[in-house]
Amino acid sequence: MNIVWITITCIGLIILIITNPNIAFSCLLNGSENAISLSLKLWAIYAVWLGLLKIMENVGLDKKIAKLLNKPIKYLFGKVPEDAKTQISINLSCNMLGMGNASVPSGIKAMQLLQGKTKFATNAMIMLMLLNTCNLQLFPATIIGMRIFAGSKNPSVIIIPTLLVSTICVFISIMLVKIFSKIFKDKE
Amino acid sequence: MFGAIFIPCCIVALIGYSLIKKKNAYNSFVDGAKGSFDLALSMFPYLVAILIAIELYNQSGLNKILSQIFAPIFSTVGIPSELAELVIIKNFSGSGSLALLENIFKNYGVDSYISMCACVIMATSEAVFFVSSVYFCKTKIEKLRYAIPLALFMNFISAIFSCFICKLFI
Repeated sequence: MNIVWITITCIGLIILIITNPNIAFSCLLNGSENAISLSLKLWAIYAVWLGLLKIMENVGLDKKIAKLLNKPIKYLFGKVPEDAKTQISINLSCNMLGMGNASVPSGIKAMQLLQGKTKFATNAMIMLMLLNTCNLQLFPATIIGMRIFAGSKNPSVIIIPTLLVSTICVFISIMLVKIFSKIFKDKE
Repeated sequence: MFGAIFIPCCIVALIGYSLIKKKNAYNSFVDGAKGSFDLALSMFPYLVAILIAIELYNQSGLNKILSQIFAPIFSTVGIPSELAELVIIKNFSGSGSLALLENIFKNYGVDSYISMCACVIMATSEAVFFVSSVYFCKTKIEKLRYAIPLALFMNFISAIFSCFICKLFI
């Protein structure tokens, strides 16, 4: 992240200094402004989802989902604390139902619970991140909505290809993380 | 649509269930929502950094340069060169790639092969740099080890598969 950010920012700025120096600084401000409006939007979304998730937690529904997903989580993540398991299962089920925004708060909580004493990410954390970047979902609602809006004759034609591709990719990711965790053991 | 009905139904069921369990749903909701400001606040600095990089990336024309460099590589593995820009930006920003997707719909028609590939690519990958910085915002993790290269590689693989599988369905 570090290297990528520095590279993009520096190269971007250098190009702008050569081609169009007037907008160079306003780009930074624009980016920051976008971040404000995005975080306000996310604040609103998370307020709703965190509220609903708390209701789930208080009626014990989150533990039930965790129990349901206990076996796959145990296989994927190895030994993790019980409360992390709960957050992971909420994160994964929100993802699968296509509620990407709802999955972020539980993902962040899960990462907090998974971290060890070092500043190195553990293999379990990387597994969770990979499962999130693969975007496993049963129903790509946002994209289908956009297709309908654009006047597609057959908006839902993408469902089966999407399912196929994401299943294959999730499978490959899991295998690769498993292989990499054998090669790079967690650092103590 | 499915999503529009499904989520509200779940919420009604959830509140109903908490009534049966005699838990105070209102108190739980308020209690949970309290954490949202803190969460948004700890994400904010990361969002600023990412969005500044994206803004510079787009405004400087780096997006065009990069997609020109990568287009020939992509087309040898079956990704149409028209989609190079989308495949790259998808790693940085979800909203940026949605705007690009709209453009693709406009330029090539929503039911074309290109648009279909673009949709599947969008639905099967997630902004790696967003996830990798936001998910770790409350931890003290500094080194992500092999996570980012692997996630980028998987996004690339999923783009290849998307274009290949869409061919079978068109």
